[in-house]
This record gives sequence, structure tokens and C-alpha cells, in this order.
Amino acid sequence: MYGWIWRHLPGNAWVKAFLSLMLVVAVVYVLFQYVFPWAEPLLPFNDVTVDNQ
Amino acid sequence: MRVVVRTVSELCVTVGALIVLFVAYVLFWTGVKADTVMDDQIDQLQNQWSQGSVRQPKVTAGASAAPAQPAPYLSGKPFAIMYIPRLGFTWNKPVLEGTQVSTLKKGLGHYANTTQLGQQGNFSVAGHRRTYGDPFKDFPRLRRGDAVVLTDGTTWFTYRIDKGPYKTVPTDIEVIDPVPRKSGYTRPGRYLTLTTCDPEWGHSHRLIVWAHLDSTQPVEDGKPVALRR
Repeated sequence: MYGWIWRHLPGNAWVKAFLSLMLVVAVVYVLFQYVFPWAEPLLPFNDVTVDNQ
Repeated sequence: MRVVVRTVSELCVTVGALIVLFVAYVLFWTGVKADTVMDDQIDQLQNQWSQGSVRQPKVTAGASAAPAQPAPYLSGKPFAIMYIPRLGFTWNKPVLEGTQVSTLKKGLGHYANTTQLGQQGNFSVAGHRRTYGDPFKDFPRLRRGDAVVLTDGTTWFTYRIDKGPYKTVPTDIEVIDPVPRKSGYTRPGRYLTLTTCDPEWGHSHRLIVWAHLDSTQPVEDGKPVALRR
């Protein structure tokens, strides 16, 4: 998987490394901005009320 | 064969990294976000108050003998700031109307079906124990006699804790009744209830404290005694 991505990135090793870094940043951004905020309420830390409003 | 092993190990590494990231998000990032949002809410309130657009008690004609009934709180909007010296001298959090998940990310939530600040009845507030800035992390340290001070921009309300922390189950909605069950109060009065979850990272129980309104004073008279160092 990672090898496949690496092989399909353009440029020399430095460009590839830079692009990989950008990809990682993009993935982390999407996770923190969209995926984790969605997943977090499924965990029990939000239940602080007595009537489950 | 080699491809299979490689793919499986890559997947494991990916899942591991995801879990680490998620833990970092829950432990650290929600706190960072909540601190920013709560500061925003407090700034918003203080701006509102400094511009004099404090919610004036609605004076209805012919009802001058009855205590003025304040305007209803707007759902999801901040209306007060809470101070609890026991949780730290700098501990202060905005109180918002409603206890929806999205509201509790921005501060403490006032149960919409309970009474208003300082009014007859039970003013009930819920807050996160952990995550989103950990507002009620030190909830078990609250003791009888501790002050819970709130301001709505015109008045300081000092409540004194009478009982707690009391551990109960999530379905025990009588704890936010106007005269809360198990609180030891027998007559109607001006009460305050705080609720949070217990254990710290779980949701099997709730922790409750009860307080009664001890004193009020206009904001022009300065901070109440409980907040003076």
C-alpha cells in the first residue's frame, strides 16, 4: 500500500518525501476535523446529564 | 505470500497510528478546542454586558408585587459565568442554555427544563468530567460549604454547597427536581444542582452536588466575598 503510493508519486526522492509528508498532513487534518468529531460522541465521555437530553 | 504479509503489517501499523491519533485527539485536542471556544463564549458575554445589553427583567404591568421574571434563555447561547474557587482560583466557565452534546462542548449546560438563575426552584447545570477542557475533573473535591458563584451580568449569585458529591445512576432524574430527592432539602427554595459523569472516563454513574442560594449582590458592588483572595 505505502510502497504503491511511493512508486506513484512523481519526482525524485526529495519531492516524493515532501509529497508524502503533505499527504500525511492532509489525512491528519481530515481525521481531526471531520472523522474524530463524528466518532467521539459515540464514546461514553459525553454522558454527563441525568436525563439523557 | 510476501504481499499478503506486507499488506497485513501495513494495515496493523495504520490502525495503530489511527488509535494513537484518536487518543491524542480525545485527551489533548478537545481540550485545546474547548478552551478556545469557552474563552470566546466568555468574551462574547462580557462584550454583551459591557455594551449594556444585559437582559433586563421583564416588568409586566400589574405584577409589580411579584418578583420580576427574567427573559428566557436562548438555547445554545451563553448567559452566565460560573466560578468555583475550590476547583481553582482561575476556574471560570461559561454556562449555556441546554444540555445537548454540541452545547456541552462550549461550556457548562443548563438543563432547559429547570429554573433560572437565582429563581425559586432548582437551577441545574451539567458539565464534562473529562474531555472538552475537563471542566468538572476535580468534582469529587467539592465539599459542604464550598461556594459556587455565578454572574449574569447584573447580579452575583453565591450558592453554598450543602451535600455532595452524591453518586447516583443516570436515570435518577429526581436529583434535578425543584426540591431534589435525596438532597436533604424538605421545603421549596432557591437551589442549584451540578451533575457530571462518574467514573472519570465512564458513563455508568453520575456525581451530583446540591447547593442553596446564600446571597446575591449587584455587580456594581464588586466581587462577592467568596471570590476575593
